[in-house]
Amino acid sequence: MKNYQLAWRNLWRNKRRTLITAASVFFAVFFALVMRSFQLGTYEKMYRDVIESYSGYLQLQHSDYLDESNLDNGFVLEQPLTDIIESDPNVTGVIPKLESFALAASGSRTQGVMVIGMDPDNEQKTLNIKNRLIKYRLTPDATEALKEEKLPARTAKLVDVFSGEAWTDEKSLISDLGISDDDSAAVMPLFRKHASLDSRYLTSADSGSAVIGYGLSRYLSADVGDTLVVMGQGYHGVSAAGLFVIKGIVSMPNPEIDNAFVYITLADAQYLYAASGMVTSAIISISDTDDKELLQTQQRLAASCNSGLVIRNWKEMNALLLNQMEADNKSGAIMIGILYLVIAFGVFGTVLMMMAERRREFGMLVSIGMQKRKLAGIVGMEMLFIGLLGVVAGVAASLPVVYYGYARPLRFTGEMAKMYEEYGFEPVMPMLLPDTYYLWQAVIVLLILLIAITFSVRRIFKLNIINALRA
Amino acid sequence: MKVVEINDVFKTYHDTEVEVKAVNGVTLSFERGDFAVIVGPSGSGKTTLLNLIGGLDQPTAGEIIVAGHRLSELKPSELIDFRMEHVGFVFQSYNLIPVLTASENVGFIMSLQKWPKEKRIARTDEMLQSVGLADRHKSRPAQLSGGQQQRVAVARALAPRPEFILADEPTANLDTKSAETLLDIMEKLNREEEMTFIFSTHDARVVKRARRVITLEDGKVVSDERTNHNS
Ligand SMILES: Nc1ncnc2c1ncn2[C@@H]1O[C@H](COP(=O)(O)OP(=O)(O)OP(=O)(O)O)[C@@H](O)[C@H]1O
Ligand SMILES: [Mg+2]
Repeated sequence: MKNYQLAWRNLWRNKRRTLITAASVFFAVFFALVMRSFQLGTYEKMYRDVIESYSGYLQLQHSDYLDESNLDNGFVLEQPLTDIIESDPNVTGVIPKLESFALAASGSRTQGVMVIGMDPDNEQKTLNIKNRLIKYRLTPDATEALKEEKLPARTAKLVDVFSGEAWTDEKSLISDLGISDDDSAAVMPLFRKHASLDSRYLTSADSGSAVIGYGLSRYLSADVGDTLVVMGQGYHGVSAAGLFVIKGIVSMPNPEIDNAFVYITLADAQYLYAASGMVTSAIISISDTDDKELLQTQQRLAASCNSGLVIRNWKEMNALLLNQMEADNKSGAIMIGILYLVIAFGVFGTVLMMMAERRREFGMLVSIGMQKRKLAGIVGMEMLFIGLLGVVAGVAASLPVVYYGYARPLRFTGEMAKMYEEYGFEPVMPMLLPDTYYLWQAVIVLLILLIAITFSVRRIFKLNIINALRA
Repeated sequence: MKVVEINDVFKTYHDTEVEVKAVNGVTLSFERGDFAVIVGPSGSGKTTLLNLIGGLDQPTAGEIIVAGHRLSELKPSELIDFRMEHVGFVFQSYNLIPVLTASENVGFIMSLQKWPKEKRIARTDEMLQSVGLADRHKSRPAQLSGGQQQRVAVARALAPRPEFILADEPTANLDTKSAETLLDIMEKLNREEEMTFIFSTHDARVVKRARRVITLEDGKVVSDERTNHNS
C-alpha cells in the first residue's frame, strides 16, 4: 500500500468533512479571484482611459509644469528636438498640445472647462478622440419620441433604463438596447430619426470650431451647431476670449474629463491664449507601452532634452488617480485578507477535529511500526489533496466568469451609475484576465495549508503512543 | 531459548500528585513457544508491563532485552523499527486500519517491512485461511464483527513472523463463542508456527487455556505458574 493510496482513501472516509473543507477553500478562491479581477480590471480600465484619451504614456513638459500647470510654464517646441524624439525606435509620434483652464458659456449656463488645443490630424496618431464622437444619444426628447413609436417590449424598457446615455457606434447601441437582428431593420430607422447626432471631427483647417465632451454638453444644454463662449487668462496675464461653434460631441470615458472637455485646434488655442508658437506639453506616443520599456524610453528621451524640459510618464502625471486606486486596492486587499482568515480558521478547525478523532488510530499505527514521518507524510498529503481540490475547482469556476466579465463588462445604470460618476468614475467594471493575481491566490491558500500541515505534523511527532492508545 | 528477558524493571508515573509505581521490580523471562497470560486486579500493572516489553514505553529503571536488543539503548525511531520487525501487537479494540480491506490489513506490516509482493500475498492468504476468514478478504473492518476483526488483527500480527505476540485483553470485547474461536486460532498458531504469545487478561476463558499464568499485584509478580494444559 503506497502512502498516497492510503491518503486518498482516508480522504473519502469522511466524505462530508472533506467536501465541506474543500468547498470552503473553493469559495474563498473563487470569490477572491472574481473580486480581484473586478478590482484590477477597473483600475486598468481607468488608467487606460486616462492615458488613451488624455495624458498619453509620455509627455514632454517644462520641469515646473507638473506642479504648476499653467501657460507661464509653457515652452516653444523646436523642430530639432521633435526630430530627435521621433527618431527613437519606440516613439511613433510627437503631438504638441496647448492646454489651459477657462470658463465656457452657452445660453445661460457657465462651466469651468479645460481647453485643449491640438492639431487634429496629428492628434489621431495617439489619442482616440475621433473614435469617441457620439453617433446616438437618448436625450429626454428622444426618449419620449421613441416611446411613442412601436418598439419591441424589451427595447422600449431599455430605452427608459438608458435614457441620458450616448453611443459612439451602432453596434454597442444595438447590443445595449437588446435589438435583435430581426427587429433591427424596423427599429434602427426610428433611432436614426430621433436619437442620431451629426457629430463631426475637427480638421486642421477648421478655425473657430470646437468638439466638446458629452457631460459638458448636457450641463450647458449645448448642442452641435450652438456657439460656445470661452473666457480665460492668456499668456502673461492677458485676457483671452473666443467664440467657437460646436461641431462635434465626444464621449470621454473619464467623467471628470468628459464634464470639462473643450477641444480646439492648436492654432486656435495659441491665438485664444495669445501664446503664439507655444505649447504646454507634447504627448509622445510609443509603440511598446510595457512598464519596463516605458521607463527605458523615458530615460533615453530625457537624455536628449534641453534644459528646463523633462519627460514625464503617465504615472507621474496621474499621481492623484494612482493614489486613489492604491487606497481602493488596499481596502480590497483587507477584504480578501478577512475572507482568507475565515477560511484559515475553517481549515484549522477541520484539522483539529481530524487529529482528535484519529488519535487512537495514529497511536495504533505507530505502535505496530509505522514511522512518524511516514504517518505525517500521509496526513500532509491528505490536506494537500483537499486544498488543491478547492484551489483547482475555484480557479476553474472563476475562469468562465472572468472571461465573460472581460468580454462584457458589468455596466451600472441608475442610482449606482450616478454614485460612480460623482466619484469621477465611469460606471463600468470590466474584469482583468488571469494574471499574476491568480498565482497570488494559490500562494496564499498554499501558505494556509502549509501552516495547517505544519501544525498536524508537529502534533504527530509529539504524539505520545501510550496516551493515544488509552484514549 | 529466551525471547524476552526482564531484569528488575520499574515504571513510575509522576503524572498526578501521587507517585504511582505501576511496575515495581519485575524480573521475568519468556521462552520461545510460550503461551502465557498475565493476570491481576485492575491497576496491577499488566498493561504497563506489556507496553514495556513491546517497546512502547521505556522503564524508569531496569533492563529489557528482546531478541538481543537492549530496548533502553534504542532511539525513538529505532524503537519504532524494532516494533515493526520483532513485535506483533493485538489490542483490545480498534486494531485495524479502517480504510483497508482485511487482506490489506494483514499485509500491512509486511509491506512496511518491504516484503516482495508475491511472498506477501501468499503469506496474507495463508494467514487469512488460518484465522478462517479467507472468504472475507475484501471486507473493510466496519463490515466485520468484533470477533472477526480480532482474528484479522491476530493474522496481521503473526504474518511477518515476529519474535512474539503481545495481546492486551484481546477477548475483553468479545462474546463467549467469538472468544473461544479466537483462542482456538491462537493456540493452533502457537503450536503450528511455534509463536510466542503473551496476554494480559481478566478473562477466565483465557486463563483456563494458558500454559503459564503470571499474577501481578501492585506492580509485583506474586506468582508464576506453569500448568499443563494440552487442549
Ligand atoms: N500513562 C499513565 N499515567 C499515569 N498513571 C498511569 C498511566 N498508565 C497507567 N497508570 C497507572 O499505573 C497503574 C497500572 O496501570 P495499568 O494500566 O498497567 O493497569 P492494568 O493492570 O492494565 O489495569 P486494567 O486491568 O484495568 O487494565 C494504575 O494505577 C494506573 O492508574
Ligand atoms: Mg490494562
